[in-house]
Amino acid sequence: MLEAINTSLFSPIGDDGMIGILLILNGLKVTLIVTFFAMLLGAVLGVGTTLMKMSSKWYIRFPAELYVGVIRGTPVVVQLVILYFIVLAALDVDKITAAIIAFGLNSGAYISEIIRAGIQAVDKGQTEAARSLGLSQAMTMKLIILPQAIKNILPALGNEFIVLLKETAVIGFIGGVDLMRAGEIIRSRTFEDSIPLFTCALIYLFLTYSFTFMLSKFEKRLKQSD
Amino acid sequence: MINITNLHKSYGDNAVLKGINEHIRQGEVVSVIGPSGSGKSTFLRCINLLEKPTQGDIEIEGQSITAKDACVDKLRQKVGMVFQNFNLFPHKTVLQNITLAPVSLKLMTQAEADNKALTLLTQVGLQDKANAYPSSLSGGQKQRVAIARALAMEPDLMLFDEPTSALDPEMVGDVLDVMKDLAQKGMTMVIVTHEMGFARDVSDRVIFMDGGYVVESNIPEELFTRPKEARTQSFLSKVLR
Repeated sequence: MLEAINTSLFSPIGDDGMIGILLILNGLKVTLIVTFFAMLLGAVLGVGTTLMKMSSKWYIRFPAELYVGVIRGTPVVVQLVILYFIVLAALDVDKITAAIIAFGLNSGAYISEIIRAGIQAVDKGQTEAARSLGLSQAMTMKLIILPQAIKNILPALGNEFIVLLKETAVIGFIGGVDLMRAGEIIRSRTFEDSIPLFTCALIYLFLTYSFTFMLSKFEKRLKQSD
Repeated sequence: MINITNLHKSYGDNAVLKGINEHIRQGEVVSVIGPSGSGKSTFLRCINLLEKPTQGDIEIEGQSITAKDACVDKLRQKVGMVFQNFNLFPHKTVLQNITLAPVSLKLMTQAEADNKALTLLTQVGLQDKANAYPSSLSGGQKQRVAIARALAMEPDLMLFDEPTSALDPEMVGDVLDVMKDLAQKGMTMVIVTHEMGFARDVSDRVIFMDGGYVVESNIPEELFTRPKEARTQSFLSKVLR
């Protein structure tokens, strides 16, 4: 057991003399960078898509609906591979940027659905009351609906962050070395299966668990103001 | 004040209003009664365009609100509405609920609106609740705040959509008293209600609706004691016991 840990994590693996644990930490960095920036991009796209979907003009609604439909209807790994090897092939974009764009596009569709659901969960009577006082649709949205919707949206956004973090484990498909891919490299070079894979799994678990914990604290605080 | 001509409203194949003609005078208090599904709430909601009429014309103070170029938001500033379920803004205090619209629409400064709101809260007997949140109020208190909120816009006309139907029986009186007070001050009011006693005491006129039509319209003494139509008679015999 100690032998296996030493071989896979603390000894040079392969010809480049890379040490396993450093490879894993570098992979973790890539995972976190991609997740964080993809979430930011996704939030921007999500808000934009939601606004487009609420438009009264079909030619503004349609592209947004198509985008969400395509993203939700295809696996993220397929989107990643198509984006890197086909769409961005001519542009010489590095793998991490490509991954951020792919996961950001993916996340944006889901985030727009989260925002839409959050807005729809606000009672219709709120809109009617605001409009009956003479507020415009935009003012009603800004002053009445969004402040209430945010309470429904934030916890679901935290969830989306966790999902996204786990989904980035397919970055290896385009040759990027994230946490999962680092584990795979160690496995293939040292022929040790358990230690590298369980190390990856534990790191994922630790990340998602601590994030869930923070989220539940935060949700409790939101509930207090009800 | 309000002129309604040939008002129709349908949802798909389901016709809810089938041609309503009504004239409501300045200062008149009109109660609309009738069985569930008779279209009375839809009729009321058409007056401030929460429901878009399928056909027909509505004029308020000489201006058509059903015309294509009508400015709906401006119209609604002059038409207050009180809902069955209060629809107070839960994330705002009582005072903020009342001042939000006049301040955001730049009709009053915050200080003016606060003053106005406190006067209105005194009028509805809730001056001590100014900084409370709606969730801490009883149903009757919520509805009185909702009335104050509508009045803060200084409307020319108030619409009430079953304002006491969601209240505990002991709360109904407080809300009706506020409405009675408002009627005596000369406010033009259209009230959809199941409170027959209130309709009889306060209204200048009662409209009985059924099946999307106005079946009968008369002063309350006549309509309640000598209804002309058979449908009105059978409805009243069931509700007035």
